[in-house]
Amino acid sequence: MIELRHLRKEYEGVTPLEDVSITINNGDVIAVIGPSGTGKSTLLRCINMLEEPTSGEVIVDGQVINDGKCDLNEVRKKMGMVFQSFNLFGHLTVIENIMNPQIALLGRSRQEAYDKAMDLLNKVGLWAKALSYPDELSGGQQQRIAIARTLAMDPEIILFDEPTSALDPSMIGEVQSIIRMIAKTGRTMMIVTHEMDFARKIANRVLFMSEGIIYEEGTPKEIFEHPKKDLTKKFIQRLSTITYRIESRDFDFEAVNDELQQYAEKLLIENERTSKLLLCMEELIMNNLFEFEEDPNIFASIDYSEKSDVLSLELKYTGQHFDPETCDSLLFKEILAEPTTTLLDETVQGKWYNNHTKIDFKWEEQ
Amino acid sequence: MKKNINKTFALLLALLLVLGLTVGAPSAAFATLTTGSSPSEEQSEDREDDNKMESKNGITKISDLNGKTIGVQTGVLYEDEIKDEIDGETWEYYKMPNDMIAALEANKIDAYLIEEVGFYAQRYEHPELMRLEEKAGQSEFAVIIGNNEKQDTLFRQMQEFIKEGKANGWLDQLYDYWVKNWDPNTCKIENVPTTTGENGKVIIAIEGGYEPFSFETANGVSGYDVEFMMNFCAKYGYQWDFWTMEFDSIAPGAISGKYDFGMNIVVDEERAEDSVLTDWYYICDLVFVVEGEYESDMGFFERMAYNFNKTFIREDRWKLFAEGMGRTMLITVLSIVFGTVLGFAAYMACRHGNKLANGITGVINWIIEGIPTVVFLMILAFVVFGKSTLNATWISIIGFTFIFGCGMFGMLKVGCDAIPRGQFEASTALGYSDSQSFFKIILPQAAKHFLPIYKSNVVSLIKETSVVGYIAVRDLTKMGDLVRSRTYLAFFALIAVAILYFVMEAILVFIVKRIQIKVDPRRRSRDKILSGIKEAE
Repeated sequence: MIELRHLRKEYEGVTPLEDVSITINNGDVIAVIGPSGTGKSTLLRCINMLEEPTSGEVIVDGQVINDGKCDLNEVRKKMGMVFQSFNLFGHLTVIENIMNPQIALLGRSRQEAYDKAMDLLNKVGLWAKALSYPDELSGGQQQRIAIARTLAMDPEIILFDEPTSALDPSMIGEVQSIIRMIAKTGRTMMIVTHEMDFARKIANRVLFMSEGIIYEEGTPKEIFEHPKKDLTKKFIQRLSTITYRIESRDFDFEAVNDELQQYAEKLLIENERTSKLLLCMEELIMNNLFEFEEDPNIFASIDYSEKSDVLSLELKYTGQHFDPETCDSLLFKEILAEPTTTLLDETVQGKWYNNHTKIDFKWEEQ
Repeated sequence: MKKNINKTFALLLALLLVLGLTVGAPSAAFATLTTGSSPSEEQSEDREDDNKMESKNGITKISDLNGKTIGVQTGVLYEDEIKDEIDGETWEYYKMPNDMIAALEANKIDAYLIEEVGFYAQRYEHPELMRLEEKAGQSEFAVIIGNNEKQDTLFRQMQEFIKEGKANGWLDQLYDYWVKNWDPNTCKIENVPTTTGENGKVIIAIEGGYEPFSFETANGVSGYDVEFMMNFCAKYGYQWDFWTMEFDSIAPGAISGKYDFGMNIVVDEERAEDSVLTDWYYICDLVFVVEGEYESDMGFFERMAYNFNKTFIREDRWKLFAEGMGRTMLITVLSIVFGTVLGFAAYMACRHGNKLANGITGVINWIIEGIPTVVFLMILAFVVFGKSTLNATWISIIGFTFIFGCGMFGMLKVGCDAIPRGQFEASTALGYSDSQSFFKIILPQAAKHFLPIYKSNVVSLIKETSVVGYIAVRDLTKMGDLVRSRTYLAFFALIAVAILYFVMEAILVFIVKRIQIKVDPRRRSRDKILSGIKEAE
């Protein structure tokens, strides 16, 4: 029904969309996820030509709509859009927001438009607010009305541009449940969102976008449970990583300490956990690995997954294997013995390292 | 309702203030006339008794003026005659001769220089004025001929006319009647000469507030200059058209060719260089005027009644106020209507960043914002429409249309820019066309932002129109000045004019407020929002 061919959008200095091709079939509910600034919203806005693509084609029902010859207003009537900032018309009451476009654009009578509007207001549970003005309503209520306004036009597809991003957490649920209700009716939808769980529950296709392209595409199960690509995995797990290459005994642990402090502050990781990690890192590297090797070759990475709330230290190194369990430090042993700490220690046949040690630190409220 | 009460209260306060001002104003300003004997008789007898009074500030001869501040009318150049004989004096320039009386009484100036004739006319209403005995000089007055294709013919005819008038004594007779024996209550043009008008119309620029040479009456202009020119026109077969204006606009207007004749021009070498002046048609002594010791014996209410009578009733002067108010209203309302349309059209053309439209609008905006209103109007009148015979009222309407249009354009821009981009995106995404989005979604919301500015622009426009007197439009301010120059009462007409402006402002603001309420979407009733709809139970 809607086909995008090699869609590209450039601004001066930035290219939010590199090259996107995709076919949206009738009845699809597509969730678009990905880091900020990777062209998700731009993609959505190119579909209804709020942004004009620099190159490529947008084809709706077999007709190219971005060649300048097409009557865009007619095409747009078939596409609804729900914005992050609701964009209800401030000078009109709720009921007029829903009625007026029907009257002006679809030629419905006032009575028809009114009946339709009231029916939809009923569905979104805001029947009583018909004569209120948008600024008298909460964000969640405004967004539900914006959805009703879109539905009133009987669009073939609805584009949701981060519909819950501007809402208080307490209001996200009410809007999501309305969207879920619409998804169940079999309407074609495309939704840009940061709410992973929501995307997973509602969509039949998920697009992971990064750096202006569709990086990985699949069913919710494929993307959320078995992502194929590292970047996807990292995003799904909401991983944050810092890495160090240690090739000398003069390695500056003070700098690691500082960086880790900032990292922990940003991700709201408890101080106790970071100190444990730092202690383990110093113990393993300075007190043991440095002892065995004149010229160490160690790759250290510190990861934190927001999703699973696990902080982990991973060391990959060459040379003689060291078993952390044989460490002298009592403190280190105590940490290892804690139930929230998991140790993985193995020798492997890597391309450039043969030892792998990983310690996961979980957190449990006492 | 509450607002209305506040309004009435404010008006009352304003009236009280005005009354207070009137009472508090220098009493001398109202010390107008002695009771009893007819002023005209008194005046003619009094001429030799000028210096019976004591000078208030001790100035009795020209040498006493060293280091003093002296007033003189702008553009008459009288000061050139006497400058060398006084040391360290400061000259203050005034538009109207009568403003110098008020300045003298407020001690802003110590004396003023004026032609003898003017002094006698002033002293008729201000007996406290006295002249210095020594003459300050003598001035010759000529006619300036407009710099246009008729110039040569008119110059020749006027020279001939003046020469003849001197030879057969007609000019002397005219001078005796209007100047020597001046009486504001009886002097008038007895026999308006008839003209065939076969040689077309000539435009004659006169001051209009300068007794006895040219002054407004309810029946039109009158005075020495007027009768002189009527006779000229009758003799040479022209139709006359008298335009009244500020004195200092007469010569520039004639030099630009806009007027065919400018009256009462002081003969001066420099002026003769770049303009065509005829021989003098009258000669007059110049005198210094100072304030003398004088006490009025009229009571306050008596004085007020007298002033009111003089300002409004005598010679049906209220008609002048009515005419001026009508013209001010006409200029204001038409400028608002055209300006609104112009500003709107300009905004529509510029809305999508059209380079040409934006360029033109930008330049016009830049010019209008950069030039003071008066200067802009004078350029329109004397340069742009210098040669055209377009009525000065229409020139002001054109000028103020541009001025108001600029404001309108700015208001629309600010108002529409204040509407979040999302409103436009939402309507576009729904399928509204560009113009539908603008008229149905953007404009109604922008109106709320710019209507308050619109209202204040309307008020300031009414006030701004008060400068049209410069290009010879007889608006309310100009009429006030003309009446003031006839009555020699500085304050009364001014305050009347101020009140009339208040009234006009109140009317226009009321109308704009109605519109504001009308277009405010938030003030619609439930019935209006749901009109034509049967509500479900």
